[in-house]
Amino acid sequence: MASTIIGAGITIEGEISTDEDIVVAGTVRGKLTAKEAVTIEHGATVEADVQGSSLIVGGALTGNVTASERVDLQSGSRVIGNVKAARVTIADGAQFKGNVDMDV
Amino acid sequence: MSASRPQPRGPVHAGAHGRTSGESEARISRGARVRGRITGTGDLVIEGNVEGDVNVRGDLTIAEGATVTSPSVGAGAVTIAGTLEGNVAATGPVRLAPTARVRGDLQGTQVAIDDGARFSGRLDCEFDLPPELGGSSQAETRGRASARR
Amino acid sequence: MTSSASNVTIIGKSTRVRGRVHGPGDLEVQGFVDGEIAVTGDVTIALHGMVGAGVKGRRLVVRGAVKGDLVGDEAILLEDGARVVGDVRAPRVSIGVGALVRGFVETGEGGAAPARAARPQAAVRPAHTPERTHAPERTHTPERVPALAAKAAPAKVVAPPARAAATNSHASASSGPRRPPPPVVPVLKGAKGQIAKKRER
Repeated sequence: MASTIIGAGITIEGEISTDEDIVVAGTVRGKLTAKEAVTIEHGATVEADVQGSSLIVGGALTGNVTASERVDLQSGSRVIGNVKAARVTIADGAQFKGNVDMDV
Repeated sequence: MSASRPQPRGPVHAGAHGRTSGESEARISRGARVRGRITGTGDLVIEGNVEGDVNVRGDLTIAEGATVTSPSVGAGAVTIAGTLEGNVAATGPVRLAPTARVRGDLQGTQVAIDDGARFSGRLDCEFDLPPELGGSSQAETRGRASARR
Repeated sequence: MTSSASNVTIIGKSTRVRGRVHGPGDLEVQGFVDGEIAVTGDVTIALHGMVGAGVKGRRLVVRGAVKGDLVGDEAILLEDGARVVGDVRAPRVSIGVGALVRGFVETGEGGAAPARAARPQAAVRPAHTPERTHAPERTHTPERVPALAAKAAPAKVVAPPARAAATNSHASASSGPRRPPPPVVPVLKGAKGQIAKKRER
């Protein structure tokens, strides 16, 4: 289980920073910075710049993403923003609009 | 409410000098009614009706069914199971039992309120918040808005 | 990897939120939330958890530090280790030995947050505004005050009611024995003064 879980229905407006991993099933507006893995679940809405070691997106994300390791956009995800990571996968069924920078 | 016991008027000194019972504590029994100031060096148990300042060095107990109306209640440890209208300044802990009905400010080394007690008033314990929340206790009481930066 | 079978939000120990947290569901704060919390479920502030603003929920259990008002629709439990600077209001309030509080504490009907539709006594209730939801809650107090009249003086009376032999008569206390007191305008410090002013609208 993740150290921090933002449950479905919960909205956080502001900045979240954590030394550990985080799972977002609800709504985050603002900024999200994690030292470990970030998971944005299907049904979640994130309008924020996101930083983490890795990022898995299953829901809606509007914002720029920076990951030290990898970013995976799953089928069903909708991402608008620039992605910067060493490895990026965009699954079939993912909607993505933005730049991808793998030159980390 | 006429009392079956004498109704002391004026200051009543409990404890070493004026025990109302033969025990080491002073007791104002159920039917008794006191109008005036109570002071003492020992413990005090109030089971009746008191209107006036109460100030004892020992422990104070306001029993279930007792009613105390007082601008100022001072004691060591305070235990309230009855009704109190008034402010409490205790040098020891304060405890409200489930049957307590209290309106007034409470001050003590610690204050415990049992589930079921009815209370309306201020609590003023001495402590510091962690530094992330502002630290020193004094800053908050002067206005949270300015303390929060 | 769905985690939302039960709608629980956990702010982990090393997590810091600077902003508001609101919505349905339960919440546990193990880290630091520097912003208002308003959820419809239960809120637990863990032993090392910290909240820098007000907390609203159904049942609040506090074992950590809070600098803000606690408002519970049902109950508030402050346990050993809790440090609260702020008001504490709920129909049922329990403060355990070792819990430390500095603020106004109110139980019973006067301590209830205005109903989130569940309580039958909810009369006219102004619309919830996101900021300062305290303001509508305070305006609710006058409707409840007649019910409190039987308890003698209104909430903020520090001295005994006028009928007492002892001296103090305060402006806010009703001069007549059982007349419903005028709407209570609490004498409060700091940010709360704004609430008092807002109530005058």
